[in-house]
Amino acid sequence: MTTLRELQLRFQDYLIGESEDIEADIVSTEDALAEHRLGAYYNAYRIRLIDCLAVDYSALQQYLGREAFEYLALDYLRHYPSRHPSVRWFGRHLPEYLRDLYQGEEREFLQELASYEWAQTLVFDAAGSGSLLQLQDMAQVAPEDWPLMTFEFKPAIQWLDLYWNVPPIESAIDNGAAVPAKQRGEFPQRWLLWRRELKTHWRSLEVHEAWALEQAADGASFAAICEGLLEWIDAEQVALVAAGFVKQWVGDQLVISLGKD
Amino acid sequence: MTEQTNKPYLGFGLGLRAEHYQDILERKPKNVDWFEILSENYMIDGGKPLYFLDAIRQDYPMVMHGVSMSLGSTDELDFDYLKKLKALIERVEPHWFSDHLCWTGVDHRNMHDLLPLPYTEEAVNHVADRISRVQDYIGRQMLIENLSSYITYCDDAMPEWEFLSAIADRADCNLLLDVNNIYVSSYNHHYDPIEYLEGVSAARVWQHHLAGHTNDGNLIIDTHDQDIIDPVWALYEETAKRFGAVSTMIERDGNIPELDAVLAELEHARAIAEPWYQD
Repeated sequence: MTTLRELQLRFQDYLIGESEDIEADIVSTEDALAEHRLGAYYNAYRIRLIDCLAVDYSALQQYLGREAFEYLALDYLRHYPSRHPSVRWFGRHLPEYLRDLYQGEEREFLQELASYEWAQTLVFDAAGSGSLLQLQDMAQVAPEDWPLMTFEFKPAIQWLDLYWNVPPIESAIDNGAAVPAKQRGEFPQRWLLWRRELKTHWRSLEVHEAWALEQAADGASFAAICEGLLEWIDAEQVALVAAGFVKQWVGDQLVISLGKD
Repeated sequence: MTEQTNKPYLGFGLGLRAEHYQDILERKPKNVDWFEILSENYMIDGGKPLYFLDAIRQDYPMVMHGVSMSLGSTDELDFDYLKKLKALIERVEPHWFSDHLCWTGVDHRNMHDLLPLPYTEEAVNHVADRISRVQDYIGRQMLIENLSSYITYCDDAMPEWEFLSAIADRADCNLLLDVNNIYVSSYNHHYDPIEYLEGVSAARVWQHHLAGHTNDGNLIIDTHDQDIIDPVWALYEETAKRFGAVSTMIERDGNIPELDAVLAELEHARAIAEPWYQD
């Protein structure tokens, strides 16, 4: 098997730009030399993967412009060649790659934009949930069962903390609308993304809802969530506020079912 | 002229593309007999692609076509990939599944391209053995598809049709004969495409692909983003004369037009081939 393997390694080295030794293995004809014939594969490899990144990171491409994006994509391809059978996963390291490419605030913005777009892809094809908890199901829960109530969330949820106002910028770019000015907050803002009836939705979370959601997703009971919320909310109001969060999550179709701690 | 075989015949189909999902569900076009799906597009956990797949599957037969099995690679077979493929086969219940006679990378890299093999005895044995192992694992026969190629290797010891046939015979698999790919490769490598058709067994030809391409002057590149050209239609008629009724579909991957435009091409295919089919 050495011969076939060596041939394939030489071909692949050519495609990734490491060696031109494969040219000696290829037949040239009068109308097309080996170099020209191999070039079809060399170019197709790059174009296909640049186009794949441009789909997953369409806002980043439009923000940077096609030329700068292609330069970035080619460099990314050199550093993170695809190792997955599906091209779907080729772009997963781009946010990490951007950390090493740019400096300062521009790096932070680009990385946050890329992270946000990648999170959208994860929400797009995450596992479905079958039946979801409905608001009328909540009415069936007896008052004495509320404290130990826990929540199972659907898989098609992502959240990330962003200093920049990335989601409205991404949305405007995606819809061809006027792009709002870039703004950086003093503290990161948590953004929630979820899929509802095949469409991806997003909204920002106040810090106490962000904490409550994270705890709930981690299996905390309603009582434990209320206790933690006391850091932000008065004791008299805390159960009402927490119940409001639960109502919002159920209404947004984030919750599959209830459990008991 | 045609050999008598027991191969299944599905009629005239289309490659299922996201751009047409909604149209297909709403109109349920009757002149499409079946759909071919790109397996990797549905080897995911959920969301829109699987929703439309399941919904459209309720109305149409399907076959599955992959691009990542890398049957010719000298890396180990990827059984994680095959496990996911098997799960999708159980979900879709396709009439058959197929992949390409190619390799897509070595050393655990994926070039995401259909790279040609040298036509050597070594490669015949290597690929046939891997197809046999895939068929054993999946538990059913598969189809392998001929490529469009832009190179030939100095080491080639036989023409492409002999290579394809030898592998199919040794692995006991069937053929997805892409008519456009035969035309493209015959143009790029200066052989007579009829000789290709005469070199394969009609009994093994279970499916045809038809597609468009781009001619750069010296080479034809298999882009699947143009209408099918007349010489490919003419070659398709030659396949109908030789192979009898073979399930045929149109593959469009770029510059995707409205569904009606692809349906019109499909009707053209039907008008060309059906007069040659015997009852």
